[in-house]
Amino acid sequence: MSRRLTRRELAALAGGAAVAGAVGGTPSPAGGSGRRPGVVGVAALAPGEGGRVDGAAADRAMAAVLAAATGAPSAAEAVRLLLSPSDVVGVKLNCLGGRNLSPRPEVVDALVRRLVEGGVRPGSIILFERSSRELERAGFTIRRDGDGPRCYGIDNDWDRTPSESGAIGSCFARLVSESCTALISFGVVKDHDLAGVSAGLKNWYGVIHNPNKYHDNHCDPYVADVVRHPFIAGKLRLTVLDGVTAQCHGGPAYRPDAVFALGRLAASTDPVAADLWAWRVIDAERVRRGLPTLEGAGRPPAFIATAAGRGLGVGDPGRLAEVEA
Amino acid sequence: MSQPVDRRGFARLVAAGAASAILPAAGVGARSRVLRVGEPVEGGELPAREASWYRRLEEGRVECELCPQGCTVADAERGTCGVRENRGGTYVTLVHSLACSVHADPVEKKPFFHVRPGELALSWAAAGCNVECKFCQNWEISQFRPEQVRATYLPPEALVDLARRAGARLTAATYSEPVVFWEYVRDTARAARAAGLLPTVVSNGYIREQPLKEVLPLLGAVKVDLKSFRDEFYRDQIRGRLEPVLKALEVIRAAEVWLEIVVLLIPTLNDSEAEVRDLARWVKTTLGREVPVHFTRFHPTYRLTGLPPTPVATLERAWRVARAEGLEYVYLGNVPGHPGESTTCPGCGEVLIRRVGFQVLANRLVDGACPGCGRAIPGVWR
Ligand code: SF4
Repeated sequence: MSRRLTRRELAALAGGAAVAGAVGGTPSPAGGSGRRPGVVGVAALAPGEGGRVDGAAADRAMAAVLAAATGAPSAAEAVRLLLSPSDVVGVKLNCLGGRNLSPRPEVVDALVRRLVEGGVRPGSIILFERSSRELERAGFTIRRDGDGPRCYGIDNDWDRTPSESGAIGSCFARLVSESCTALISFGVVKDHDLAGVSAGLKNWYGVIHNPNKYHDNHCDPYVADVVRHPFIAGKLRLTVLDGVTAQCHGGPAYRPDAVFALGRLAASTDPVAADLWAWRVIDAERVRRGLPTLEGAGRPPAFIATAAGRGLGVGDPGRLAEVEA
Repeated sequence: MSQPVDRRGFARLVAAGAASAILPAAGVGARSRVLRVGEPVEGGELPAREASWYRRLEEGRVECELCPQGCTVADAERGTCGVRENRGGTYVTLVHSLACSVHADPVEKKPFFHVRPGELALSWAAAGCNVECKFCQNWEISQFRPEQVRATYLPPEALVDLARRAGARLTAATYSEPVVFWEYVRDTARAARAAGLLPTVVSNGYIREQPLKEVLPLLGAVKVDLKSFRDEFYRDQIRGRLEPVLKALEVIRAAEVWLEIVVLLIPTLNDSEAEVRDLARWVKTTLGREVPVHFTRFHPTYRLTGLPPTPVATLERAWRVARAEGLEYVYLGNVPGHPGESTTCPGCGEVLIRRVGFQVLANRLVDGACPGCGRAIPGVWR
């Protein structure tokens, strides 16, 4: 199983070199460093009144996980390692669960502040989902212009022709194929009735026009094939998971009796490791409640191992390094 | 040629007092809304009504029993077709009365060659499909979700009204996949029958037996795309299976409804002489030699852009093989001007209906029979 490393132990791994060999083909960001295969930075972030979190607490947690995920001394330095000031950064939010089971606006705001602090131009940050309607339902305000960060849905702005990637053939959102030069997956931590887990990787189903065609066989290998497309894999710099509350059963829709206060914010430059971590915490809660593990329930998220096999990150649970920030 | 029924046509419907309509909200939450006939619907909240053919499972899941995909769908999710959604344990269709394409087409374009030659069919589609043919010609509506496609609110009575105005004596559910808008097809067929029109359907035949049997008595003709006679092709190229389509063809043939079959021949994938022979033999022995089979020409599109158009010689070979196997009405499609477009009497060889493209140049049938030898030619001629 995975083990937790301290920041100090992680620093000794010299920027993730010890596990980097396992991640053949992982694309490098502009700066070429800051990637820590297998490493997931995790910080405490407790839910308050109505599940909301305090903005200052979100700021602190975000800074801590960015530093832990990259091994950088500060969040600003972490951002500088992953992104350049000329990048147009798309942040894909997963808002299918509505206001109760989507990334919290106050936590997303904390990421935006850290990106700006690290040199990204505010107007070059685009928070997006499949539709503006879903964003609004999750509590976000639509902004298509102005100097600040944008926030809007793909709203049917697809490539004119499909592209192939392994078993999938899809039109990608022009936001990812054309507009953005760097991408961040900002998901939640939840059970998924078909895929097993919906966290950072499956979030990318939202950027193709035909996700409903790829739900058979527990979404495997389709999730991996979407993410390995150069539009995603070539630009993906970071995965952030809002685990303030999580859902261990009955997903992907919000189900109150299956939601639990996980009290964690997580970030990783390794999208596969981030999903491994989500799988682990979901299973832990299921076991605590006397539910079978996802494997026992017949829906292990096999796409995670497939994604690792495609060179997208570390898929071996024994090599998952959770760094408590 | 085909006449698109445009927004002005829809506007006229509204102006003519086609009235506003309210989609039923029962059981589908608070998301239904009032729509006016002819109102464009794009990207916004979709009207919903409870679907037919599903059963509730544990934990709020549903199982769709409409087509062989047999999707098990969790709350807030959709089936493979993308047009049927689980809303808190109630399965809804999101495409009833949302037409995304409406034209008055010659019936030959469907193609039906033994159904009221030269007449117009008011042809319409809603978004979605239950399979994914890599060579789909209409993928811009069939492979997208309803909220991703421009549509117009046209309930069955409005479609029938449009048919009358266009001078069409037939209606045709076509372009995408009518199986996935089954309820819309059923209700439009009823309205069309009541108005004295002949309802028809153009389908992939990927439907379960019970829903098919329930809708067949309402229909006058069905065209089925038999995409290959190899299960491997169905699995690799369309994400489906062959056997349910063959079963559907048998069910249709056993009903009081006219059947024609189209086979799109794709170079190297389904155009071998052996496969065409197997297919023709099966049609003859299982369905009957008088069922028309159209071999049509492939053009590169969607995900299959690396193959050339089907050589005419390949189509002609298929024609010869099928005729040699004993099929009496074999046609070639997408080769305008080819003699294989015309209907010939199997008795005396006389050309009975001469066609070029979708146009009928001459129809020599007399009361559905050959004027030369008197042989009855099967079809729906009136
Ligand atoms: S009709 Fe749609 S939802 Fe129903 S089984 Fe077929 S693909 Fe699945």
